[in-house]
Amino acid sequence: MSIEKDIVARATKGDGDAFAQLYERHFNGIYRYIYLRLGNQFEAEDLTQDVFVKALEAIGSYKWRDLPFASWLYRIAHNRVIDHVRKQSKVEKVPLEDDIPLFSESNTALAAEREIEIEEMISNIEKLSPAQREVISLRFGAELSVAEAAKALGKNEGTVKALQYNGIAALRKMLLTDN
Amino acid sequence: MTRKTEDIFNNCLERMFKGESIKDCLDAYPKKTPDLEPLLKTSLAIARSSSTIKPNPEFKARAHRQFQLMLHAKQKKAERRVKISIWHRRWALATASILVVFLVGIGTAAASTNALPDESLYPIKLAAEQVRLTLAFSDVARTTYHVKFAGRRSGEMVEMARQGESDKISMLTEQIANHLGKVYIMEETPVARGEIPEVMVPTPAAAPPAGVETFDAGKNMGELEIILSQSRTNSLNALWYALDNAPEKLKPILEQAIEDIEEDYNITISLIESGSNQ
Repeated sequence: MSIEKDIVARATKGDGDAFAQLYERHFNGIYRYIYLRLGNQFEAEDLTQDVFVKALEAIGSYKWRDLPFASWLYRIAHNRVIDHVRKQSKVEKVPLEDDIPLFSESNTALAAEREIEIEEMISNIEKLSPAQREVISLRFGAELSVAEAAKALGKNEGTVKALQYNGIAALRKMLLTDN
Repeated sequence: MTRKTEDIFNNCLERMFKGESIKDCLDAYPKKTPDLEPLLKTSLAIARSSSTIKPNPEFKARAHRQFQLMLHAKQKKAERRVKISIWHRRWALATASILVVFLVGIGTAAASTNALPDESLYPIKLAAEQVRLTLAFSDVARTTYHVKFAGRRSGEMVEMARQGESDKISMLTEQIANHLGKVYIMEETPVARGEIPEVMVPTPAAAPPAGVETFDAGKNMGELEIILSQSRTNSLNALWYALDNAPEKLKPILEQAIEDIEEDYNITISLIESGSNQ
């Protein structure tokens, strides 16, 4: 954490290399989080880029003492997802089947199998309550700690743990029903 | 189900994320095993599936390139702002001098309106602009002045190019960058975003001069984008014409200046666009 704190401190002072390091560290996590929230590759790609544009614009005013960097970044991502969902609420969603494959593996059978697994997982996550879905995406997609997720969401840690527990229990039930 | 169960579940989850097995953790909580084991198995499956979600390599490479360009543009802008701070000091001095001008008579200031950078009245012209910016009654009005003054600098550059004044061209390029940089900063304010209603305090001194288009509370970022695009087109057309007719030795300098100005306009417009699309 202290290494990241140092990188963040440099980035807030306008060090482009430091911000590029933060970009590399968090790019995949932000993409995964948005993908789990929206279930659409193209939207996840657009919004991932948007999040870093927003972060670059605002990094000068970021202060670690108010919020850990990961929580701050995922708060931007969360807000972008909310805005996007609000704007897209009346637009027909492109089904996942029409997306470009997620994997570029040579073993297409394995790739297809994984893709089906992910589709099922996202489809089930979509059925959770918004708060459970948010917590599951932050914990399993973004791989944030409970403390970081709590700060990103502005909730206390106990609430995040409860949402996580109930979300997983609900997913378990869905899996049993599917099978 | 108690809060303790949620805590134990989370504790096991953290241990699992660090590489321990489900059994390792549940051995410490035998009474909870029937409840927690299936949930931890589900968690493990979700974690495994999630970890296979990765951005498409082509997208990642494209995004990385775009990000690097943006980072570069931002750094370039910041470097220019540092250079321009010298001009801020000069402007501050000129602002003080404008007070003297007012005491002597506003006729001198009026006479400076068409002054060029190589003329003695030019600092007064800049100071008069600075006063207008300071007295602007709202952020959006100030933003419009910045666009207007960026256009003015382009006009002066055309004249300087005609006279073969190469040193004035780079100075004017920096001033244009400064004005356009301020347009971006203004865009970030809540007033300009339309999030906070603008408080209009009309005073005679703050009234905009004839010919300067100003924003009222009802206008939005889309209109700023149009004004910027018009300013960009007018400035670049005039500068390209000047380039065609400039002395040969001046052409490389002017060409570079046009390239920088075009980039500044493009960055500003794209930032405004991305802001207005949010």
